[in-house]
Amino acid sequence: MTKSEQSTKQNKVCLETKLNGLTLRNPVLTASGTYGFGEEYAPYCSVAQLGAITVKGITPLPRLGNPVPRLAETPAGLLNAVGLENPGLEDFRKNYLPKLAALDTAVIVNISGFSLEDYALLAGTLDEASAEYGNCIKALEVNISCPNIQDGGMAFGTDPQSAEQVIALVRKNTKLPIIAKLTPNVTDITEIAKAVESGGANIISLINTLLGMSIDISTQRPVLANKFGGLSGPAIKPVALRMVYQVFEAVNIPLIGMGGISTWQDAVEFMLAGASAVSIGTANFVNPLAPLDVLHGLVDYCEQRGYKASRELVGLAH
Amino acid sequence: MYLKVRVIENRFVGHPSQKIYRLVLSGQLALKAKPGQFIHLRVAESHDPLLRRPLSIAGIDREQETITIYYRLMGKGTEALSQIRENDYISVIGPLGTSFTLAQKGEILLIAGGIGIFPLFSLLEAIDRTKVQVKLFWGGEHKLFLESAGLNYLQKLGIDYELATMDGSLGHKGLVTDLLQGYLEKRALNSNPALQSNRGLAPLSAAACGPKGMLQAVVNLCKQHEIPVEVSLEERMACGVGACLGCVCTVREEGGILRRKRVCKEGPIFAGEEVVWDDEI
Repeated sequence: MTKSEQSTKQNKVCLETKLNGLTLRNPVLTASGTYGFGEEYAPYCSVAQLGAITVKGITPLPRLGNPVPRLAETPAGLLNAVGLENPGLEDFRKNYLPKLAALDTAVIVNISGFSLEDYALLAGTLDEASAEYGNCIKALEVNISCPNIQDGGMAFGTDPQSAEQVIALVRKNTKLPIIAKLTPNVTDITEIAKAVESGGANIISLINTLLGMSIDISTQRPVLANKFGGLSGPAIKPVALRMVYQVFEAVNIPLIGMGGISTWQDAVEFMLAGASAVSIGTANFVNPLAPLDVLHGLVDYCEQRGYKASRELVGLAH
Repeated sequence: MYLKVRVIENRFVGHPSQKIYRLVLSGQLALKAKPGQFIHLRVAESHDPLLRRPLSIAGIDREQETITIYYRLMGKGTEALSQIRENDYISVIGPLGTSFTLAQKGEILLIAGGIGIFPLFSLLEAIDRTKVQVKLFWGGEHKLFLESAGLNYLQKLGIDYELATMDGSLGHKGLVTDLLQGYLEKRALNSNPALQSNRGLAPLSAAACGPKGMLQAVVNLCKQHEIPVEVSLEERMACGVGACLGCVCTVREEGGILRRKRVCKEGPIFAGEEVVWDDEI
């Protein structure tokens, strides 16, 4: 199929995705931490065809992150313990944001903090910074779920009260749509989902990685320097799907589903479970064209089944 | 480039016990590849192994449009790779990363530990040996390993080399860095400006690949003798293109500030003096 045939084909199915204040041209995004700052995959996959990209988590101050080894491959999975390495808010604003503003796609900035003040500062500063660069930030994804840092991160996302508090504070400091990114490392994810909804989140993204580990039997030591890391990849898909299904029934705000999506069939499953959009993460590492393969497969599926818009799929499995 | 390339050859070379394979790939990769760079290969279409495997380029043939890779069976990934047959097509991203500086004159020292010889093959090929004098130091477990991993090739090239093995079955018994140290000390004595004139003027540089401990020792020796050295680093990788921050190393910048660099993007070739080794942090 030629490119023009492909685009005509896409036009037959409406892909526009409205997420409670965030409108995207299609429902396929890339996940934070897997897509750098948008330029790394540019030679292989055109960002102009993506619904949005979510950049690496930003903290107020620059972070070196964890020592290596930061990665361990597991069956159908990948453990990572990068530890939020990032250039910090000031450098991001000065040197990364202008480049992101030039990209032909919606940019979502992921923010992460160690205290409530961190989240407030990040939200306020990025709100201003976005305005400076033609409102280039379309939403903030609030990471209350990083498993690889000592304090903050996941600690905020495992307790409903703290989760609500963080989101409410971010709400006060920004006019941008807020995506609350949830950790699966909790007993009942619907409690956290309800909490961030009442805190003022526009959207929920789920799931972040599952805490895991790997041990080298020759050295008899943990493989990761950080001992524990976050598991991603096809191995976690059933868990992520179940959580999307549960959260869909618990809240009234839209969901971005992620966790092991590597094919269009996976994406369709997530939408049927209740995700209004999907994010591709680890699959990018294997197939840089995974987001586009997902998008094209989704269009074909809709067309074959006679759906006029991809949003018609959302929640059909309930 | 992200493309499917045809496998021309994929078979073990040398003694079967050493599990060393040669993989020859056809395609335009060869036109862009530079010594020291790597390719990121999808070794199987399954979810296990899930990730691509980074493999350094050992040979570049622009006329035939082929690149050659050597690898040793180590685990799931290389096991899967060894199953790929000739004329199959495999998915490749690359060439990726930085390359070695090509010395134009003077003398270059190449130091290899074990299978760290492989990326140095591509550098050896690219150096104009009519203008640059090459001296290679290579250490391995034993004779059988060195013979299986390309000793014949070095002999055929006719370059000057010294070998070391851990068990003494070939060359010096001990570490490759012993050889380098001996050579540098002798050279320092000979280049005493009081004794002779222009020998010390020829630019001397070095390139090394091997285990981290060896690289650290090489960099220290080169520092003592004021020789610029480039090292090829290896680290567990996921994306290979700089997006995931899985494969970083630590460098010291001016003013002593520590920074991470991505082995896949700002590397795998680094100036030896900038690298901060794990035991130094």
